[in-house]
Amino acid sequence: MTLVVMVGLSIAFLLFIAFLNVAKSGNVLSEANLLYGALVFYAGAGALYLGFGVTGTESYIRFASLATWAGLIANTGAVAHRWYEAGHPPFASLYEMLLSFVWTLAALTLIAEKRYGVKVIGTVTMPVAIVGVVLMQLLRSEVRPLVPALQSTWLHVHVTLAMLAYAACALSFALAMMFLIQDKLKTETFLAATSVFTVGIYAAILSRFERWGGLNVVAWDAENKTEVFIAPHVRLFVTIPDLGWLMLLVFGAVAAPLVLYILSYVKKNESLLAIANRAVFISILLQVLALVFFILRARDGQYPSLDAEGLYQTSLAASPFILSALVGGIFANLLYLLLLWRRQDLERLLPDADNLDRITYKTICIAFPLLTLMIAAGAYWANRAWGSYWNWDPKETWAAITWLVYAGYLHMRITRGWRGRRAAYFAILGFAVVMFTFFGVTYLLQGLHAYA
Amino acid sequence: MALSLGSAVRNTWKTLSSIKTGVVLIILVVIFSAAGTVILQRPMTDPDDMARAYSPAMLRFLDSTGLTDVFHARWFIALMILVSFSIIAASVERFPNAWRFFARPYKSPDEGFRRVLSVQATIPIAGEEQGLGTAERVLRKFGFHSERIVRTDSFSLFSEKHRISEMAVYIVHASLLLIFLGGIVDALYGWRGFVMLSPGSSSNRIEMKTGAERTLDFSIRCDGAGEETYTDGTPKKWWSKLAVVDQGREIFNKEIVVNDPLVYRGVRFYQASYGRTGKLDKLTLNATPAKGGAAQEISLAMNQSVALDADTSVQLVEFIPDFVVQDGHVYARSNDVENPAVHMLVTSKKASTTVNYWLPAISGIAENSSSPYILEPKDLKTGVFTGLEVSHEPGQWAVWAGVVLMAIGLTFVFYVVHARLWVVPVTDANGKLALWIGGSANRNRDAFEVKFKKLVEELQKELKPESPAGAEHPAASTTVAGR
Repeated sequence: MTLVVMVGLSIAFLLFIAFLNVAKSGNVLSEANLLYGALVFYAGAGALYLGFGVTGTESYIRFASLATWAGLIANTGAVAHRWYEAGHPPFASLYEMLLSFVWTLAALTLIAEKRYGVKVIGTVTMPVAIVGVVLMQLLRSEVRPLVPALQSTWLHVHVTLAMLAYAACALSFALAMMFLIQDKLKTETFLAATSVFTVGIYAAILSRFERWGGLNVVAWDAENKTEVFIAPHVRLFVTIPDLGWLMLLVFGAVAAPLVLYILSYVKKNESLLAIANRAVFISILLQVLALVFFILRARDGQYPSLDAEGLYQTSLAASPFILSALVGGIFANLLYLLLLWRRQDLERLLPDADNLDRITYKTICIAFPLLTLMIAAGAYWANRAWGSYWNWDPKETWAAITWLVYAGYLHMRITRGWRGRRAAYFAILGFAVVMFTFFGVTYLLQGLHAYA
Repeated sequence: MALSLGSAVRNTWKTLSSIKTGVVLIILVVIFSAAGTVILQRPMTDPDDMARAYSPAMLRFLDSTGLTDVFHARWFIALMILVSFSIIAASVERFPNAWRFFARPYKSPDEGFRRVLSVQATIPIAGEEQGLGTAERVLRKFGFHSERIVRTDSFSLFSEKHRISEMAVYIVHASLLLIFLGGIVDALYGWRGFVMLSPGSSSNRIEMKTGAERTLDFSIRCDGAGEETYTDGTPKKWWSKLAVVDQGREIFNKEIVVNDPLVYRGVRFYQASYGRTGKLDKLTLNATPAKGGAAQEISLAMNQSVALDADTSVQLVEFIPDFVVQDGHVYARSNDVENPAVHMLVTSKKASTTVNYWLPAISGIAENSSSPYILEPKDLKTGVFTGLEVSHEPGQWAVWAGVVLMAIGLTFVFYVVHARLWVVPVTDANGKLALWIGGSANRNRDAFEVKFKKLVEELQKELKPESPAGAEHPAASTTVAGR
């Protein structure tokens, strides 16, 4: 019974976030409404996958796939609308790239499902799509004119290739995870991985912990829809009081399963694992609480800053990282619970390990040439716009690093015959680097790609 | 001694060519590149920002190790050279084997090979000639053209597709080396700089990124520059009309925009920026006689004098883009056209008086009230400049050639399969005549196996009606062992 409540909660907070930002009046077929439709359907698909997790009813998967179709249609509408309104393909800003990325991801999910029979791939990709759409709600969405450097066909070629490559990488990640399930990787190993991931998230959030229990977030200039800068590249932070304590509490809650896992490993005591699983459940509830409080407090309101006099406004749009990290943590833990409770069903529904291993490899065989061409097109464009094909700018460097990681994977696989687990771990690492290149570099490191 | 030296060389070669070394080098490149994106880099970062971000001791350490300019540090370049050597060594080490495979295809499989091949089938046949003939036909139907291999005692068939696929990985490695080569050539012989031109001016001096100056043996002239903006003021388009002047002759001209440079003798001129110089280009005024009368419109350039009537003339002598008044003097605060002031002299020949006319009328300095004409500003055009990024990258053609080659190589690596088929007439354990078919593919083996099974089924169907006796034989056995 508690499980049903939990799934209900997860859908409720998605709709809650959606309503906060998209309940706009106006044309029914406006981009915002289409995007909202896509969100609802993707959320529905995600919920149905989770529903399958709770009840084990296989027909849920069919409905989930239908919901994905519906979401994809709405998403296509939003892309087309955007394209028409802006007069250029939607690749010019982070918002537009996310729009295209989510579209590609949903399309590839359906292809993997129909073509390769990987029925439950959406369990992993749909949450990513949902996070993407939620992030889009927060980022600036008005059509902005292109600065001269961005007016090039090569830009569109470059970004289209990037989206295709990154979506293929996302798919290979999902497939590698499924391989690990089919390869009989112990459920508690997934527990440890999920816990480490979540602990990492809250540790990162707590790096913004301010004395007296506050949490620092970036100030937001609502009028110009941008972050507030006090000097070039130096953002103004405001402190939300008491939120730091809550994050600290949740940090303790998400660390508990990890501690219990380590204890059970050291003491060889299986019963501790059962407690750890219960602790995961409690931590999810607390994480939802943290998310809700974060949204309520950071959505708007005036807060003091340590660096400047007076009160400053903030907005969810100023903290897309924290928000997606919070949502991502919840999804990772829910996926773990799905695995914990429905592992046998999953194993029955997924293709066998050999097949998954092979499909993962094939997906990377598609992703790697796309990555290569993406870098080449970017270099060619840079050469036309700036007079230099390679500038060692952070985004370029990280794209090269991504390329090298996958090149390493291919060498180990082809010449050393790496199969199975080691190859799967490599594919997961590759996707982690892709995610850093896509999000991390944009927000943490500065460079020529600053418009993105 | 010579022996140990030889073995040392051999060992070095072995280490360099091993895949382990390759992976270790890749990991090192990844780590140092990542460091180069996290640590603030010179010269892009302002020295003040560097000093703010790191403690003096830390900064000294980072500077001395080259970590503040990773991608141009000597050890990073050495690392890249080591990577190149590793690629060369690994390719050279493995190439002869692959070449043998490529140049001398294995056409007639012996018994040992036939026994261990994982993808194979045996079909009973009535006669050798008729069996091979049918096999040839079926193979052609599946797109395999076979050749008959004549041996001392029998015939067999050999067929293959896309042998080039075996060479693909060397194509990719060669393309990577070509890209490196281009990068090295550009690092050694390439340069980048900047030149600022106002419409009408020309220059052959390029200010280099390093701060030095470079003189080209031709010059570039700007015949016009402009900007278009969106309604919200963000720039939409910058353009410059440029002409190349070589030994006093105009060679050609082109209007360049961002993303579309001008190229002459390997030197590329890019539209990089556009702005105002803070110098006056043209001032338009309305002049009305103080005693009353019709107004006339006049335009003035710097130091230009224009007659207002037979007796009176006006001359523009000073333009201050951003003025400030202090102790009865006018000073320029900056070169931005923020708060402009113009100084004109209105001269009357008959009365031999000269009036200092200021716009705006700065109290204490301007003598506007004693002027015979009232001057009203109508329009002020300040000079513009166009900023051109100039670069010379002789190695870029190697880079683009490498990119194209890599695209071709990767296509072959991932999507072109070298497939081989052998058909050999054999006698099975019972002494009956049979057709042995074997196949191999260098990648995408599962798809190949499916195709192979179909081919065998087809061959069985073709062979059956012609050999009714075959029905008594046990059904053809296809074995596709796991890899």
